[in-house]
Amino acid sequence: MKKKVLSVLLCVAMVGTLAVGCGSKDEGSDSKADAKTEDTQKDDAGDSGKKTYAIVTKAAGNPYNEKEAEGFQEVIEAEGGECIVKHPEAATADAQVSVIQSLISQGVDSIAIAANDENALQAALEEAMDAGIKVSCLDSKANADSRQTFVNQAGVTEIGQALMDAVLDITGGEGQWAILSATSQAANQNAWIDSMKEIMKDDKYSKLELVEVAYGDDEPQKSTDQTQALLSKYPDLKVICAPTTVGINAAAKVLQDEKSSVKLTGLGLPSEMAEYIGDDDAHSCPYMYLWNPIDVGRLGAYTSIALVDGTITGAAGDQFTAGDMGDYEVVEADDGGTEVILGAPFKFDPDNIGEWKDVY
Amino acid sequence: MAGKSGRTISNVPEKSWKKTVLSWEGMLVLLIILINIFCASISPSYQLANVLREMPKYLTEVFLMLPMAYILILGEIDISVGATVCLSATMTCMVCNKDMPFIVVVLTALLVGTICGFINGMILTRFTELPPMIVTLGTQIVFRGIAEIALGSGGSISLSNTDGFRMIAGKAGMIPYILFVVLIFAVIFTLVLSKTTFGRSVYAIGSNRLAAYYSGIHVQNIRLIIYTAMGFMAGLAALFLTSVLYGANTTTGNGFELDAIAMAVFGGISTAGGKGKLQGGIISAFIIICLRIGLGQINMNPQLILIILGALLILAVLLPNIGGEVKLKKKTVSAK
Repeated sequence: MKKKVLSVLLCVAMVGTLAVGCGSKDEGSDSKADAKTEDTQKDDAGDSGKKTYAIVTKAAGNPYNEKEAEGFQEVIEAEGGECIVKHPEAATADAQVSVIQSLISQGVDSIAIAANDENALQAALEEAMDAGIKVSCLDSKANADSRQTFVNQAGVTEIGQALMDAVLDITGGEGQWAILSATSQAANQNAWIDSMKEIMKDDKYSKLELVEVAYGDDEPQKSTDQTQALLSKYPDLKVICAPTTVGINAAAKVLQDEKSSVKLTGLGLPSEMAEYIGDDDAHSCPYMYLWNPIDVGRLGAYTSIALVDGTITGAAGDQFTAGDMGDYEVVEADDGGTEVILGAPFKFDPDNIGEWKDVY
Repeated sequence: MAGKSGRTISNVPEKSWKKTVLSWEGMLVLLIILINIFCASISPSYQLANVLREMPKYLTEVFLMLPMAYILILGEIDISVGATVCLSATMTCMVCNKDMPFIVVVLTALLVGTICGFINGMILTRFTELPPMIVTLGTQIVFRGIAEIALGSGGSISLSNTDGFRMIAGKAGMIPYILFVVLIFAVIFTLVLSKTTFGRSVYAIGSNRLAAYYSGIHVQNIRLIIYTAMGFMAGLAALFLTSVLYGANTTTGNGFELDAIAMAVFGGISTAGGKGKLQGGIISAFIIICLRIGLGQINMNPQLILIILGALLILAVLLPNIGGEVKLKKKTVSAK
């Protein structure tokens, strides 16, 4: 009997502690809570308080995302804001939900996020918007209901077109090719792959045969395994297209180490890919594409700032100036939401890789 | 109760307040107080409202910890629960998207979970020589495989109608419903383990399975019930997780089994079986949740948070072993 009493007491103590431990701080931070709920009041005091802008990456250790965060941070700090860079503990939507929840608690002014899943963040991001936080996506979008706008590194069709033309060019017009993607639910990857498939329906590409879309989950080891599996499954394979920085790097190493005749293209980081880019047989990748992730981050930062100071609301037709990057306009996106498009992808070939490999 | 046979049972341990405070559970209560004070002092946003708002996602794992504690006390392990959550969440979303009434959706979640648990239980009780870790590793791969096939090439499914899930993700005042559900189940599981013959049988099996068998305990029935309960709770966790994520994908439930085991072990439940109290597991679950929320709010590197939790876990299993070495020697009976 005593034991039962004890266990109940323990539970009560536990909940009690929670209440006391957390409650004791309530008074001290009341002023902050007020400022959050009442927008008007915040505006009055707006000059004194620094605005806080958060960026949430897909995962720690993703060099591409880190460059974006760098660009984001640089702009925010130059504009006099406070920047929070948050990495989720794993490359999953669940982990990002915790991060978003934590940012809501901290009462940030804006969240820019590279979503790990298009739909899974909706509940958390809606809650953020209800709390008055400006939500935008960059790099990889969340669905239209979960965001105010999306900073798109390049139009989906522009990327699909560039990659398809690269495949057509490298294969010499015909033969088997395969795609090595990241995770099967990455929104940006799937949009590009769908776009490539769409473009491939054109007669020009009729002799190309897409044999498989493999998923390396953006892990170097798994991407390596998937590349090797592709090589052994399809002896006639001519080209692998990897629209992910982790995948293309792993595949380039495999192809070059095995002196394979299979060629590679896709989206990759110049610094990681420099040793694999070249026209001769000793190099596995003739050329590849990417945009400048630092610019994506910077545009993301200007977008967040514009959302927070009310220059834009995220509706199509809104215009804003992104510092020295020029003027941008918010346009309709395919999914019913809006987006801001950075520009077409940039081609890295043997001629220019030397100067870019030190940049990022 | 006593005195029925005129005997007094001599090995009932003396209870005293001193002993209570010095017990592992007493330490944990102290620790949760300290952790909360610590979090409140490092983060200005560590307030009751915020903590309760951030809590639901983490609470889903507590559902798994409760039956996991039973399994650990049996001296066994179930590493398929993360996959069960994934499969159950996937099926739940599919049924929900067929415009079924919400009660059917809820039942699907629970039923799929229960079936998965029952399958584990059936395999383990019909082929008693199989090691639970290997069997549940197998079913983990199978369950996740089925989920991935059901999810198709996109690898994710989202709810077309979120009304029902918005309802269960709701709050009574500041307190999310899920916290009530967790506490109700926590009380049930704790009482069953500490107050019933069933609970005592679990400890008996964990301490010495053969002796338990020869003393007339239905070892296999109890194992089947516990594994099935594990599946049921995984279904419940899937239901609430879906209300947070509005969908499911191939990474749903990744690593949940290990988090559940970590919570239980931190609470003083021995993986060797026969030892530990569920109260400890429940308190430690809240310690881990509070710590994660608090450290998250000061924007600590998430990997660093994981390292801290890992270090705490090792410390937690180390301390009682150092202290209780002498006592342990006296008690040790062959584990299998």
